Amino acid sequence: MTDRRTAALIEAMAGPEAPRRADGEMVFEAPWQGRAVAMALGLVERLGVGWEEFRRRLVAEIEAQPGRPYYESWLAALESLAADHGVGLQERAPA
Amino acid sequence: MSEHDGHGHDHAGPAASPPEQRAAALEALLIEKEILTEGFIDTVVTTYESRVGPMNGAKVVAKAWVDPEYRAKLVEDATAAAAELGFKGPQGNMAVVENTDEVHNVVVCTLCSCYPWPVLGLPPAWYKSPSYRARMVREPRALLAEMGCHVPDDVEIRVWDSSADKRYLVLPQPPAGAEGKSEEELAELVTRDSMVGVARL
Repeated sequence: MTDRRTAALIEAMAGPEAPRRADGEMVFEAPWQGRAVAMALGLVERLGVGWEEFRRRLVAEIEAQPGRPYYESWLAALESLAADHGVGLQERAPA
Repeated sequence: MSEHDGHGHDHAGPAASPPEQRAAALEALLIEKEILTEGFIDTVVTTYESRVGPMNGAKVVAKAWVDPEYRAKLVEDATAAAAELGFKGPQGNMAVVENTDEVHNVVVCTLCSCYPWPVLGLPPAWYKSPSYRARMVREPRALLAEMGCHVPDDVEIRVWDSSADKRYLVLPQPPAGAEGKSEEELAELVTRDSMVGVARL
C-alpha cells in the first residue's frame, strides 16, 4: 500500500535531499507540494522504476541549483522522470 | 528567484512558470495519460494527513486502554512504547500526557508545527496556523470551545508546547460504551483530534 510506504520512503532520505522540515517537522507550505509528493510515489510505482530512481534525480536537481526552494527541485525531478518516460510537458500546447 | 505575481506570464515556457502551475500541468498530464488518477493523488494526500498517520496513534491509545502495563510504559517512555508497535521516526522524542477526570491536555507548537508524525501523520492545516499557536496558549478554553471541544469548567486544561526535541501525544479517556470492546474496535474510536487534545471522545 502506497500510504504505508510513504513514511518509510521519505524517512529513508537522510542526505541533503531529505524533505525540508521546520524545526524537525516535515510540513508543506502549499497544497501543490503535498500533491507533488503523492505524484512521485505514484509515478515510481506505475513506471516500476523504484524510489531510488526518483531520489537520485532529486539529489541531482538540488545540486544543480542549491538555492532553489526544495519542492521546486522536487517538482523538477518529477518532471524529468516523467519526461524520460514519455510524459513530457512540452507535448502540451502552450496556453 | 523572483516570481512576481505569477499570473499570465506564459511567455517564458514551463521552466519559468510558477510551481503551482507546473505541478497542476504535470498532474493533468499524468491523469490524461492514465498513469495516475486524481483519486489516487487525493487519497495519498488526505489519508496521510488524516487517516493513515492517526491510525498508528489510535493503535497506541487502544493498547494503552486495555493493557495497564503498556499504559505505564507509554507514560514513562512514549518513544520506546510506540516503537514497540513499529511506529518510529528519526525526529526527537515523544511524550504522552494522560487525560483524567480532572485534567484535559491539549498540544500546540508555539514555535512552528512540531508534531509526532510517526503516530499522527502530517499535521492538519489548522495546527500550523498562527492563530491556533497563539490562542491555544492565551485562551485555550475559549479556543477549544470554538473548535467544538467543550471542557467542563471543573476540568483543568493543561497546554503542552511541542518542540523538535519533545512531541506530545494526548492519551484521551475512552468514550462511554468502550467497555467490553476489543483493542481493534477501540482503535477505531480514537480520532486524530482527540490525540491532539482538541476533541474529547
